[in-house]
Amino acid sequence: MLEAFLYFIQQLLNGLTIGSTYALIAIGYTMVYGIIGMINFAHGEIYMIGTYASFVVIAGLTMLGIEYVPIILGCALIVAMIVSSSFGWAIERTAYRPLRGKHRLIPLISAIGMSIFLQNYMVLGQGARDVAIPPIITGGWSFGGGDFQATLSYMQLVIFVVTFVSMYALSEFISKSRMGRACRAVAEDLKMASLLGINTNRVISLTFVIGAALAAVAGLLLGLYYGIANPHIGFIAGLKAFTAAVLGGIGSIPGAMLGGLILGVTESFTAGYFSSEYKDVVSFSLLVLILLFRPTGLLGKPDVEKI
Amino acid sequence: MKKHNKLIGLGASLLMMGASMITHADTIKIALAGPVTGPVAQYGDMQMTGAQMAIEKINEAGGVNGSQLEGIVYDDACDPKQAVAVANKIVNDGIKFVVGHLCSSSTQPASDIYEDEGVIMITPASTNPDITERGYTMLFRTIGRDDQQAPSAGVYIAETVKPKNLAIVHDKQQYGEGLASVVKDTVESNGMTVAMYEGITAGDKDFSSLIAKMQKADIDFVYYGGYHPELGLILRQSAEKNFDAGFMGPEGVGNSEINSISGGASEGLMITSLPSFELRPENKALVEAFKAKDQDPSGAFVMTSYAAVKAIADAIAMTEGTNTEEIQKALRSNSFDTPIGEINFDDKGDLEKFDFVVYEWHADGTKTAVK
Repeated sequence: MLEAFLYFIQQLLNGLTIGSTYALIAIGYTMVYGIIGMINFAHGEIYMIGTYASFVVIAGLTMLGIEYVPIILGCALIVAMIVSSSFGWAIERTAYRPLRGKHRLIPLISAIGMSIFLQNYMVLGQGARDVAIPPIITGGWSFGGGDFQATLSYMQLVIFVVTFVSMYALSEFISKSRMGRACRAVAEDLKMASLLGINTNRVISLTFVIGAALAAVAGLLLGLYYGIANPHIGFIAGLKAFTAAVLGGIGSIPGAMLGGLILGVTESFTAGYFSSEYKDVVSFSLLVLILLFRPTGLLGKPDVEKI
Repeated sequence: MKKHNKLIGLGASLLMMGASMITHADTIKIALAGPVTGPVAQYGDMQMTGAQMAIEKINEAGGVNGSQLEGIVYDDACDPKQAVAVANKIVNDGIKFVVGHLCSSSTQPASDIYEDEGVIMITPASTNPDITERGYTMLFRTIGRDDQQAPSAGVYIAETVKPKNLAIVHDKQQYGEGLASVVKDTVESNGMTVAMYEGITAGDKDFSSLIAKMQKADIDFVYYGGYHPELGLILRQSAEKNFDAGFMGPEGVGNSEINSISGGASEGLMITSLPSFELRPENKALVEAFKAKDQDPSGAFVMTSYAAVKAIADAIAMTEGTNTEEIQKALRSNSFDTPIGEINFDDKGDLEKFDFVVYEWHADGTKTAVK
């Protein structure tokens, strides 16, 4: 009995770990969608760039002989966020802004093109192979005795804490700050907001920058957790995060958080109690079911009519 | 004036085309098809290294029937869709001989095209048994089959490791699942039961649920059918979760990248792999030649690729032409002296004899034979 419970806890922890990183990436999709009604398919690549940037910093600092983990993590986090955010900003400026106001499909195609461009850019720049870093945060707590012990590694704890802090900071920013208020106004009605004197272009840029920064956080965390990266990791991660965003109701920030966690836990429980082979089948069936019965997703507002 | 420039340009390009035709008229082209990019590009490197060396050596010795060989690299990235595109391109380029492809899942669809177009293909790396079970005449391989590799792994598990609870995990791809199912059959016919048999998705990064499941089932030995990126991560995450079962994999996991991916947790991994051809005394001069070019002759597919080129060249010399129908008959009816030994192809295009060896892998990239 205890063993079954510990196993349940273990799978729940595993699911929440992966789910919280899905949620971090999903926020980028959902914010951009909420404001300009466009799906930024290049967002997964931003995550990938964040992972690479943090790897470069980690490798560099380790080479310089710095081994104090908080310093390494802090530097990696800041650099990854800056690099990813500049990419996010630049992508919006070059690939989406010139197409604003055109047919909705056109920026979508441009986004797919941007995604392919970034993947290949990284293949050419860093090579197509897996790059790996050694484990930095090792160890963890085991609890429960007997045949099965549930483990919470320090790395998982770091993922929970950093995700929670980022999410909290984002919610505070959106609900309390002046810029956050502008974001909400633009999401509500872009034209009206611009009539009332809000610099909508700036707000849109900011959305891309925030989304990219959070993707960079996810990039660093997952990079440390798995220890490897290649130029194609953005595709699957982006697809999963996009699913999480749709599941929670695209356009809604709490929805993206909820969707990410649900997706992660579903995957983990399917793999744990059923079979790893059916992991994706079950998660995506869940997505189809939710969209059938609640087309706007779990927390989405029904009035949105954007593609 | 502008028009004039265009005309000159056209003339120049025509001249260049003519020139390139003349220089290539008497070379025999061999397509080297394999992953130059993508997650398993390291194996492609081995293949290209071995094949290019063979071409160079044969050309130094005067070529084949007075013609020089020319190796042209095609990148299939180990992707079945791209392999088909590459195969079509090779046929369009008028090339009659292919050394490749590398991944079984690329070899299979590509071989359909070569068979239809009468292009000879020798794969130096694809070990899936189904590939040569389809009665194709143009298809050969200079490597063993999974049903030779997997039984040696299965027998080793059943007779030497004797685990209490064995798990078999595979990546649902042709190579990995093929191996896993044969290992399962072998250990079962040796009287063992398989406690867990499960597939994962290639490209997945998170195996924590699977590891927890194996811990709960009290697994003490895992056979993994697949390639190194996933097994490396499984090893790394197992170490983090204090899951200390033994692991075993096929030759597809045995390369130095698994050490960095697994963060050192690859120490003690068992692998079945090809014999170390670079240690054969007959290959001493050849090994020196590789080392002189700063290349590594110990890669799993270096010598098999060399052997594939050599067999093609010898068969061309024997038939004194490039009629592929005659060449495939010559390949079947003769034996060839290659760095992997004296080889004979059977009717299916497989090697008549090929031995796999069980190694213990070390975190510094070396391996020691245990059987």
